Amino acid sequence: MSYRVVHYINQFFANVGGEEMAHIAPELREGKVGPGLAFETQWKGEAVIVNTIVCGDSYFAEHEKEAKEQILAWVKEINPDLFIAGPAFNAGRYGYACANIALEVQTVLDIPVLTGMYKENPGADMKDKILIVETANSAAGMRKAAPTMAKLAMKLMKGEELAASCVDGYLPNGIRRNFFEKERGAKRAVKMLLAKLNDQPFVTEFPMPDFDRVEPGKAIADMSKATVALCTSGGIVPKGNPDHIESSSASHYGEYDIEGVETLTAEGWATAHGGYDPVYANDEPNRVLPVDVLRQMEKEGKIGKLHRYFYTTVGNGTAVASSKAFAAEYAQKLLRDGVHAVIMTST
Amino acid sequence: MKSGLDIKIITNNPLVVRCLSDYYTIDYHEISFREILVKVRDMVYEGYELRTHPIAGSVKPNETPYKSIVVTKEKKGFNMEHANLCANAILTFDKFTPIGWTLPERILQDFQLIDYTLLAGALDFDAAAGLSKIP
Amino acid sequence: MKLELGFIQIKDIQFSNECAVKDGILYVNADDVKAFVYENDDVKAYIESIELDIAKPGESVRITPVKDVIEPRVKVEGPGGIFPGVVSKVDTVGSGKTHVLKGMAVVTAGKIVGFQEGIIDMTGTGAQYTPFSKTLNLVLVVKPVAGTKQHDYERAVRFAGLRAATFIGELGRNLVPDETKTYETYGVIEGYNKLPGLPRVGYLHMLQTQGLLHDTYVYGVDAKRIVATLLNPTETMDGAILSGNCVSACDKNTTYHHLNNPVVAELFEQHGKTINYVCNIITNENVYLADKQRGSDWAAKLTKLLDLDAVIVSEEGFGNPDADLIMNCVKNEKQGIKTVLITDEYAGQDGKSQSLADSDPLADAVVSGGNANMVIVLPPMDKVIGTLDFVDVIAGGHAGSLRPDGSIEAELQVITGATNEMGFNCMSAR
Repeated sequence: MSYRVVHYINQFFANVGGEEMAHIAPELREGKVGPGLAFETQWKGEAVIVNTIVCGDSYFAEHEKEAKEQILAWVKEINPDLFIAGPAFNAGRYGYACANIALEVQTVLDIPVLTGMYKENPGADMKDKILIVETANSAAGMRKAAPTMAKLAMKLMKGEELAASCVDGYLPNGIRRNFFEKERGAKRAVKMLLAKLNDQPFVTEFPMPDFDRVEPGKAIADMSKATVALCTSGGIVPKGNPDHIESSSASHYGEYDIEGVETLTAEGWATAHGGYDPVYANDEPNRVLPVDVLRQMEKEGKIGKLHRYFYTTVGNGTAVASSKAFAAEYAQKLLRDGVHAVIMTST
Repeated sequence: MKSGLDIKIITNNPLVVRCLSDYYTIDYHEISFREILVKVRDMVYEGYELRTHPIAGSVKPNETPYKSIVVTKEKKGFNMEHANLCANAILTFDKFTPIGWTLPERILQDFQLIDYTLLAGALDFDAAAGLSKIP
Repeated sequence: MKLELGFIQIKDIQFSNECAVKDGILYVNADDVKAFVYENDDVKAYIESIELDIAKPGESVRITPVKDVIEPRVKVEGPGGIFPGVVSKVDTVGSGKTHVLKGMAVVTAGKIVGFQEGIIDMTGTGAQYTPFSKTLNLVLVVKPVAGTKQHDYERAVRFAGLRAATFIGELGRNLVPDETKTYETYGVIEGYNKLPGLPRVGYLHMLQTQGLLHDTYVYGVDAKRIVATLLNPTETMDGAILSGNCVSACDKNTTYHHLNNPVVAELFEQHGKTINYVCNIITNENVYLADKQRGSDWAAKLTKLLDLDAVIVSEEGFGNPDADLIMNCVKNEKQGIKTVLITDEYAGQDGKSQSLADSDPLADAVVSGGNANMVIVLPPMDKVIGTLDFVDVIAGGHAGSLRPDGSIEAELQVITGATNEMGFNCMSAR
């Protein structure tokens, strides 16, 4: 008997259409569609795609909850040995959909999952949570991606132990695994040294943890004349969360006016953050965004003034790339408004 | 041998007390390896500086129960790098799988010896001479 | 400085009435070896007995606890003798001609402390991780006189191994080598003129120097007491650097590793072609923080003074040496000297933990010898040379690690040389 596989693809790879058809809701089809053929060819009958789920990229992005519910229901019913998505190559929304639906299937249904995409696809941010095979940045890379994905898929279905990421072809997922290189370490070191000397590309075998350290700015000579802004990843928003900042994996930030606000009251403000117990923050929002203390310092002349707007988002599970993009944008606003210093509070 | 005037040893190793108390100020505590790390970390936050690296030798921190660390006798002011070393040492300790074995006395003595020689090495102290004083 | 190595391939070792190498076969009279080993005050005073045994690749044999592994060599031309300052008198080595008995090793086994480790399996799972499953091993099981202090015992075992290897090496003095190879580095100006335009590369060789079973010796000097200094690469081939190191056996450099330093060998491969291999810089890994600062400062000072373009840095051990490794990297990178680091990893049994105790973004070129926490199961062997009494408490072993059938479940750490940080092996991790 063959292993049974469900394959997830978008409207484009199902040959439904391009961007103009990206709105289509998920549909369940029998057997393989499009790129599924390449997998089946590799599996040589050991595994078959019993169903293919086709979903528009825009639909998934805009109706993620509904899309997940529908797809999960189907996959639960079919109960396959593996759920495979993509590969998405460098298509951002497709990659996002592949990674997120795969994670959902893995988490909720406990079925092995696999997807594939280009390493800079935004969906690849999830490489530590689900297995993602590294592909080229365009669909021309299918010929190379198919055997790698098919082989790894077969390993997962058979419950075999994974080899190191570079051997099995998945993006490094934070789990270090031993394997044997062809050349001894000293030779690899000398080769790496020659590449480094000649400004040629080389790949370190152990990437240092990415701290993304920022050089501190210049000290402010006279704080009594400085305009200070408050920013937070602690999710403080006007009560009711008018801009619908997500409780996790935030997709945007908020800008709120605190002109004349002496203190953040429990009646007027609350946190949108879903990653910590909100009781104390909602009870006294100044605990996360200390408007009260800054107002006091303003009165005492310790700082020039508190900036009229504060910027806020939810740090819970939010991608580093998104956070960087938010900050890059509102930093320009702060600069434009002549802000000298920012106090960034976390939780 | 390094002067003992401006340093002290935080340890849970009785052998260190026996061999070095004539030469150095010793803060002996009957606490675990991890508790020594935490104690020293807290001292660094109070302003004491480290003089030895909190992880020494290659005996895994989940194997040996003994730990000796040299710090300044007086507070020198908060040292961020030293706080980092302490934090990383505790993280390193925690990543080793706890073994939970009961060690026979002879093995305990060997672990004391290794911790003591690592400390003696750091202090330029003749480890063998220190031992020879023990009856 | 120029050294010619003459390799004499050893194809078998057999016990015999005489000591000789004939047609690639080493014949050993155990009593003669012991007699030479005992001509040393420390061995005489502290060693009760020495038993010799032979372990060959593929045999169902386990050697443990391994203290050191040494390759027999003999100096046939040029100043000094093998292991200067320890077995031979102090004299600068590394020039002239040296004969090497290739394909074999002298292995010392001795239980100095109760939790000591170091396993060499000649077959099975463990064999693929240690290079010494591929050598013909003449093993000395060295037992102390009752009441001997660990310090004295350690030193006596160290000397016993070095003396036995020297004795065996001497048997190759008058043989015609199967193969010869010449290694030469130049003085600063000479090298600059001879190899114009080639990048100047050095090898920053970190030595573990911390205490009992954590020490390294250079020309007989305890390397805790050195400041960073220069060595001709060929000096290492004559035994200038010795191991007193065996705890956490996977990433400790045995004397065999020092004699056959793979970084030295690979840099020589490129020397005169793509690089100008200038010299080795040795530095230590002390526990005192000021020593770490000084050691890395001095190493960086020397690389700059020599106008090096790049260095390879090899670590020994884990934990606090990670701090030395990163300082050695950062200080060189900041002065424009490119670095490649060789290390190993302690990423936990599940591979999920942070591998190193220190890190820096400037360390962007790292070679890994693998995760030492990986759990392996070593099958039972028909014969054990040494003792298994304390396998339960060797580093990386855990309660119940010695199973009733004689198999051992333990971390890779217990295998001698498994994750060597000179890059001796092919194993790595991702």
